[in-house]
Amino acid sequence: MDIFSRRDFLKLTNRALLTLSGLLGLGGLLRFLGYQGEEAPATEFDVGLSENYPLNSTTILPDVPAVLEHTAAGFSAMSLTCTHLGCTVEQDGEGYLCPCHGSRYDSDGQVEHGPATEPLPPLKVELEADGELKVSLS
Amino acid sequence: MRPNFFHHLHPPTIPAKQSRWRYTLGAGGIAVFLSLVLLVTGALEMFYYIPTQAEAAQSIQTISYLVPFGGLVRNLHFWAAQLLLIVVAVHLVRVVFTGAYTPPRRFNYLLGLALFILSILLDFTGYILRWDQGIQWALVVGTNLLKTIPWIGESLYRLLIGGAELGDATLIRFYAWHIVGLILLASILGIWHLFRVRRDGGVALPPPNLRADHERISRFELVRREVLAMIFVSAALLLLAAFVPAPIAPPITELTAISGDVRAPWFFLWVQEMLKWGDPFFWGILVPLFMLVLLAIIPYFFPQPAEHEIGSWFPKSNRLAQIVVAVLASAVLVLTLIE
Repeated sequence: MDIFSRRDFLKLTNRALLTLSGLLGLGGLLRFLGYQGEEAPATEFDVGLSENYPLNSTTILPDVPAVLEHTAAGFSAMSLTCTHLGCTVEQDGEGYLCPCHGSRYDSDGQVEHGPATEPLPPLKVELEADGELKVSLS
Repeated sequence: MRPNFFHHLHPPTIPAKQSRWRYTLGAGGIAVFLSLVLLVTGALEMFYYIPTQAEAAQSIQTISYLVPFGGLVRNLHFWAAQLLLIVVAVHLVRVVFTGAYTPPRRFNYLLGLALFILSILLDFTGYILRWDQGIQWALVVGTNLLKTIPWIGESLYRLLIGGAELGDATLIRFYAWHIVGLILLASILGIWHLFRVRRDGGVALPPPNLRADHERISRFELVRREVLAMIFVSAALLLLAAFVPAPIAPPITELTAISGDVRAPWFFLWVQEMLKWGDPFFWGILVPLFMLVLLAIIPYFFPQPAEHEIGSWFPKSNRLAQIVVAVLASAVLVLTLIE
């Protein structure tokens, strides 16, 4: 008796509809939980007057977190967020060490050993007309 | 003696051999008791806990140091949660090592596995609610790990933390999951799990014709043993709560600031160790997922325990399942210890 009976058909239809409504409900739930407010995350940091960072100085900016360097060529900044899983790296001798999983970067942010594979990215530094420095994550 | 309501939750009699401590280890029953302790102490903590970035850690300090018996309540909640993870892991290992997952119990084994995962998620979300410097990196690493999943990672991350970056929305989401979302799921699956134990014929044992020992104990004896277990567990919990306080750390000032404690919660130390080895998606997501799938398919694709061997320790017929679980458990244990 391999025929596909009316009962089998109704059973299958019933299951398919139940699955469908379940999936629709799940989709609705995901959309509900996925709502994002308008607020964009802070990507710019005012780090104060440029005079606070004398020539040939290297300063850690813990709020960004980043390291700000002032050389003859001008200001430059590098992110101190580990590219592996986002912990803040700590200064360790010349370079930087991530306390979470042990990634090591040299003073230029290049990976010395993993698990990180990407170098610490440079950040944009802008000198405003009033002498204020602005570091932006981009 | 007239059976009371609690007696009525139990079958009239159960087989004597399979109701011994040395067989069940009391793990399933203790897990139920710990869950009840967690519900009560958790409900009490809700009267003081404030789920905002600015006040969460301070409200926990208020519970711990100022509220009368608050420290006791919080310590009991903490220790019951840690013990629960250990007890459910022991329960899982016991079920595999005694071949107690054969049909008709296969589905209930999966329910149990889901409850195991829910216990871990509940423990992790509860840990995050501290919102102090001790949990900071576990939160950052745990959520960033989601981002490494191809295609859906970024949306999953935003869904979990409620925005593009960690903040008040994240804390309120973890709070909602911890006190409602996960609890709802765990309660439904937990009650279903208990119901299925009864429906599937109680504790696993060979069919009557293959049984050597037909002795049974009454529900009164069973309840007596359960009460005894509750007393022992309560004593252990009270001792731990009195002498080993739950961890607490200064409030987070800035989520990016360097903090002293970079260690994952103890039940994720093995993952933290693996994350040092390379690709985070592979070691942090695929490997744990693979281990879970391996556990889930044991009743379906592994050699089954022979009928006459069910209900005793280490059946020869399901050796493979025992070896797999023993290897997984030792790997997790070793990784936890070396981290």
